[in-house]
Formats: sequence, C-alpha cells, structure tokens
Amino acid sequence: MGISITFRQALREGLFIAAVGCALGLMYTGVTGQGMFASRESSADRKSDADEPAPEFVEYNDALEFYRSGKAVFVDARHAFDYELGHISGAINLPLKEYDEKKGVLASFPKDALLVTYCDGQECNSSVEMALKLSAEGFSNVKIFFDGWREWESHHASTEKSSQ
Amino acid sequence: MKKLLSNEYLVLMVRIILGCVFIVASIEKAANPASFVQSIGNYRLVSFDVATVMATVLPWIELLCGLAFLFGLFTRGGAFLSFIMLIVFTAAVTSAVLQGLDISCGCFTQDPTVGKVGWMKVGENVLLTGASVFLLFSTGIRLSLERYFRTRNAAVDTRTGG
Repeated sequence: MGISITFRQALREGLFIAAVGCALGLMYTGVTGQGMFASRESSADRKSDADEPAPEFVEYNDALEFYRSGKAVFVDARHAFDYELGHISGAINLPLKEYDEKKGVLASFPKDALLVTYCDGQECNSSVEMALKLSAEGFSNVKIFFDGWREWESHHASTEKSSQ
Repeated sequence: MKKLLSNEYLVLMVRIILGCVFIVASIEKAANPASFVQSIGNYRLVSFDVATVMATVLPWIELLCGLAFLFGLFTRGGAFLSFIMLIVFTAAVTSAVLQGLDISCGCFTQDPTVGKVGWMKVGENVLLTGASVFLLFSTGIRLSLERYFRTRNAAVDTRTGG
C-alpha cells in the first residue's frame, strides 16, 4: 500500500474516531455536569459574581500580614504527605481530593473567618479550587495565596513539620 | 522492515499492548475530567479553558483508539491519532522535566503522588510513539474485525459473482 493511500486512510479513520470521541466526551460531561459543563462553583476560573464575593488572590506580603495578625486560618490544600513534610505554621490540612470526607475540620470556624488557601505553588490549582469550594460552603472571607508553599518557604517564613 | 510490518503475530502483540495501555490510561481521566483538568494545568502550558476542553474530549479519543487497536478496526486511524497525541504528551512531559516541575504525569491515574514526570516517563512515551508508527504502517490483520469484514465481503462478492 502506498504511503499516500496509507496516510489518506489514516486521516479518514482518525477524523472519524476523533469526531466520535468528541461527541462521547461532550455527551458524558453534559449528562454528568462535569468538564466543560461543570457548574460555575466548581470552575476554577470563575469570575466575581454580583451576589457572592469571589475569593481574592493575595501575594506573599499580604499572606504574611494575615499570618502575623493571628486572625487568619491557613488551609493547606495539598496531599497529606506533602503537608507532613512541611507546611505554614498553624495551617490545617484539607486535601482537595478528600474535601468531602474531611471538610469537618472547618466546622469550628465561623462563616466570616479569614481563610487563606494555598497549595504547592503556581503550578497547582488546588488553592483556587479549594477557595471556590469554601465559598460555596458559605465562607465569606476566603483568600487565595496562589504562590503557595514554595514562595512561603523561599522567604524562610514560619513553617513546621508534623503529622496531623 | 516490510517483513516486520506484515508479521501477523508481532502486529497483534503491539495492537494488544497499545490497546490495553490506551484503555487503562483513559478510564480514570474520562470518568473524572476535573482531576484531569488539574493535571493538564500543572504543566503550565495551556490556559484553564483549553485544559477543560482537552479534559472533556481527549480521554474519550484515547479510549476509542484503545478499542480500535484491540478489536482491529480503524487501526490505522487509531495509530495516526495516538501518534499525534503521544507526540504532544512527550513534548509536555519533556517541557515539565526541563522546567524542573515536581508534578505527577496524570497519564494513567490522577493521584498526585503517583507517576512523577521524569526522563523515564519521556522514554515510555517515545516507546509508545514508536509502537503507534509501527501500527500506522503495519499490514497484519490477524484476529481483527477488519479481517472479518474483508473475508465476509469477499464471500458475498463470490456468491454474487462480483
């Protein structure tokens, strides 16, 4: 079989598979409300809403100020393993993937408590997703420390190692 | 080379291996696109919106490619698509390694502690890319639906004198 015939057949079949794959993906996510059809609450790039204040992004200096004020609760959205290796002093661990099972750790905090979410750093979105979940939960004063653990650690700010 | 490409057993083996790899890789991603969006986002190569679209459709295309290899139907198309996808995945993993990102690959599972990116992962992807190219040009159709349909059509042609 010539190269051009092989290529044409591959292209034709490939387009067919891609089209069916796209249709299945859209159907599945449409029916289950995931992916492109996820509700705005679970969408990490949600823009601010008129009724609900959107979680605000804060830089290291603001995060440090919140930390020093002693009024902020830092919420570490990373995996428990990473948390145990080191975290912002006093932070509570609430891994994003175990949110539903472990969200009880927030029960003792008032809904207007200042919560600052963080994860590893700019390469992760868990801090954003966590902030959106907390907002959806009714917490009205949630901030996102997007530069996260790496930035905090690079400034040699207060950290601790522990198991939960 | 021609001998290898037409070796029925070799082609069958590559089809089964690549088919299983693609099917296993696609299932968790297809079922949980939100985690996959995060995995794609970790590479810091595309925007959140692009990652969402990719997470919505890519796992299903992977799944269909896997099924195509396993059943031996549209194998060439599946090989073509898997080749393109694997080139993109390899480039993404390489870029993550070069950037020094400590992230999980997101290739088979969305567990952040499993399958950290590294040169091993790049090597795996290069091997799979080679397997895709092999299937793209292979001519063996042993134990495939393609062979079944060809035989049936030939039988019908013979009966109708076509």
